[in-house]
Amino acid sequence: MSAALDLALCALILGVGLASMAGRGVFRAAIFFITYGLLVAIGWARLGAYDVALAEAAIGSGLTGVLLLAAHGRLRRLRAAAESLSRFNLPAAIAGGGVALSFGWAWFALPVPRAPDLTYALPQAGVGNPVTAVLLNFRAWDTLVESIVLLAALIGVWMMARDADWDAPLGLRYHARPSGVLASFGRILPPVGLIFGVYLVWAGAESTGGAFQGGTVLAAVGLVAMMAGIMRPPRVAQGAWRAALVLGPVVFLGSGLAGAALGAGFLTLPEALAKPAILTIEAALTVSIAVTLALLVLGPPDEGGQQA
Amino acid sequence: MTVWLHIVAIVLLASLGGALWRVWRGPSPADRMMAAQLVGTGGVAVLVVLAALQDWTLLVVALALALLAALAAVGFVKAESPDGAGDPEETDPPEDWRTNSQKVPQDG
Repeated sequence: MSAALDLALCALILGVGLASMAGRGVFRAAIFFITYGLLVAIGWARLGAYDVALAEAAIGSGLTGVLLLAAHGRLRRLRAAAESLSRFNLPAAIAGGGVALSFGWAWFALPVPRAPDLTYALPQAGVGNPVTAVLLNFRAWDTLVESIVLLAALIGVWMMARDADWDAPLGLRYHARPSGVLASFGRILPPVGLIFGVYLVWAGAESTGGAFQGGTVLAAVGLVAMMAGIMRPPRVAQGAWRAALVLGPVVFLGSGLAGAALGAGFLTLPEALAKPAILTIEAALTVSIAVTLALLVLGPPDEGGQQA
Repeated sequence: MTVWLHIVAIVLLASLGGALWRVWRGPSPADRMMAAQLVGTGGVAVLVVLAALQDWTLLVVALALALLAALAAVGFVKAESPDGAGDPEETDPPEDWRTNSQKVPQDG
C-alpha cells in the first residue's frame, strides 16, 4: 500500500516537472513550479527528511513563488513575457537531460554512502537534532560561509539599483485599501507567523526546525506586512537594517574566534558551552536570514518601477 | 488503520491531480492561481495524513505550508495589479470586469 502511495507521488512530481517545462506561457510555468516545490516537500516528508521538507515548503513554494510571480508581473508590464519561452531550447534540454541521466547513472553505479554514525558525537554537540548539530557544530564552517553567501547575493541585487534611486525605499511602493481584505490579512498573518517562526528556531535544537526555516517564515510574514502596506520597506542606508543583515555572520564568526581563544580551535564549540552557544548563534542567524531573504525578494530600490 | 490512511493519502493525491489539470487548462491566470491554492490545501491535507502515518512532527511542515501558501496568493494579486504594487479593492471594478478576466491571454 505504501508503494502505491509513493508511486502516485512520484508520478505527480514527474508530471508537474514536465508540465512546468512543456507548453507555452511563463505564468503557467511559474504556477507549476510553485506546486512542484510543494510536491517535492511531500516527497522529502515521505523520505523521513523532515527538516529538508520544512525548508523546501518554506523556500520552494513560499518565497520562490512570490519572487516568480513578481518577476512575471514585471515582465508583463515591460511587454516582454510573450517573447520568452516561445521555442524549444535544445542546448538547455541537452544540459538538463544530461544532468538527470548522470544522476541516474550515479544512483545505480556508485555504492550507497554510509551515513556517519552520530551515536557518540551527538551527546557532545549540545543539541538533540542531528541536523542542527551538523549544521552548527560539526560542519559550522559550511554554515558560516553560506550565511555570508546570502549577504553577497543581496549586495548583488542592490548593485542593480540606479544611482538616483539609492536613497529610495527598497522594492516597489506597495499600497492597499486601508480597510480591505489585503490590509486585514497583513495584520492577521504576521503575529501568527512571528510565533511560528520563533517556535521553529527554538524547537530546531531538539526536533524539526532550525534557523533557516524559522528565518524564512519570518521573512515571509514580513513581506506580507510590507505588501499590505502595514510596514514600510527599509532603505539601503538605514543603519539598523544593515546591522541586522550582518548580525548573524558576526556572532557566528565571533563565537568561532572565541572557540579558538579558549583553545578548542576555530569554530569548535567546547562541550560545556555548546548548547548556549548554538542557541545564541541560531538566534542571531535567524535575524540575519529573515532580513536578508525579505530584502532579496523585495529587490533593489526602484523609484521608477511603477512606470516600467 | 494504516491501510486506510494510505488509501486516504492516495485519494488526496489524486484530487491534487484534478487541481493540477485546472492549472494546465486555465484559461485565466486567476483560475491557475486558485488551482495552485487548492493544490496547497490538498498538500497540507496529505502532510497531515502522513503525520498520522509516520511521525507527528510532520504537522510542523503542514503548518508551515498552510502559512506560506497564502503568500503566493498575495504575490499574485500584487503582480496582477496595474503598477505591480496595488490592490484590486482600491479601485471600483470596471463594468466589464467579469468578461474582462476571460480576455487575458493564456500567456498572462
